[in-house]
Amino acid sequence: MPEVLETTVDKFVFRVATDRYYSSEGVWVAPLPQGEGEGAGVRVRIGLSDFLQQRSGDVAFAEIKPEGTVVATGDEVAVIETIKVNISLTAPVSGKVVEVNPAMATAPEAINKDPYGEGWLAVIEPGDWETDRARLLDAQAYFVLMKGQAEEESKKP
Amino acid sequence: MTPPPRQVVIVPCSGIGKTYGTVSREAAYEIVENLRSAKTQLVALSLLVLGDEDARAAVADCPAVTLDGCKLACATKMVKESGGTVAQDFAVLDVYRRYRRFKPQGIAELNEGGQKLAHALAEEVATVVDNLTAEHAQGVEKNPSISTNSAVSAVNGAQGGDDA
Repeated sequence: MPEVLETTVDKFVFRVATDRYYSSEGVWVAPLPQGEGEGAGVRVRIGLSDFLQQRSGDVAFAEIKPEGTVVATGDEVAVIETIKVNISLTAPVSGKVVEVNPAMATAPEAINKDPYGEGWLAVIEPGDWETDRARLLDAQAYFVLMKGQAEEESKKP
Repeated sequence: MTPPPRQVVIVPCSGIGKTYGTVSREAAYEIVENLRSAKTQLVALSLLVLGDEDARAAVADCPAVTLDGCKLACATKMVKESGGTVAQDFAVLDVYRRYRRFKPQGIAELNEGGQKLAHALAEEVATVVDNLTAEHAQGVEKNPSISTNSAVSAVNGAQGGDDA
């Protein structure tokens, strides 16, 4: 379990893992330890933030773009169907999908149970990680953004 | 003389304003009113919450099948807390994963997908009810001292199979 920033809004507790980056949409991006050997590039794992999964509801199905798919930032990388909504998630980085979490086909509820761990969606090999990283939010910045979004949500009837 | 089959208690979600809760209740009505009226009895979750004696007696004496609308699983928890045995719990979301073509929508009134999903759930529960009552019938043949469940027919606040 990574270290987290935590806030309570209304009766809900939301956590932000501090060891990764975030898109404003609530998709986290965690660089994986780099492999050894020449040509071993950066790979990042992506998933839903705790706030995004709680706001979206229990996941029924998760369809991730298959391995080999090349996505640009902002392209749809996954569709998550929950009991409330269908969410089209956009890629937080540009690159190639190199791995899809096999659990998503059989037990997508992992997104709700363990959003920062077992509930990861895919691994992407970014084309230009440094540029993408500069566009993402660090945990503290996302925490502030998320808290504001959660407070707005709590005011809705 | 063959004793009447053991009855099974059906306890659906009592949540308000949620599509999946509505699916669970529609399925429960279909089971107790149409599919297995002679073998099942509906027990209102709210009566268990209130500690109603007849409702508690019903779940204490009969195996229960719970139909939960969300992961809070209130129906399953309340049957257990009331001293009952959950023979099988169904989560509507899990059922939907098996019948993706039946996407439920609506709350007061389910769409066609929701009605079909409720029917699919009811059919699955009916199979469980058949298995449970068959097991009981076999037990009665082996041990005639096993009694049938008189408490079930006395449950207030619920309707169900009394046509055995």
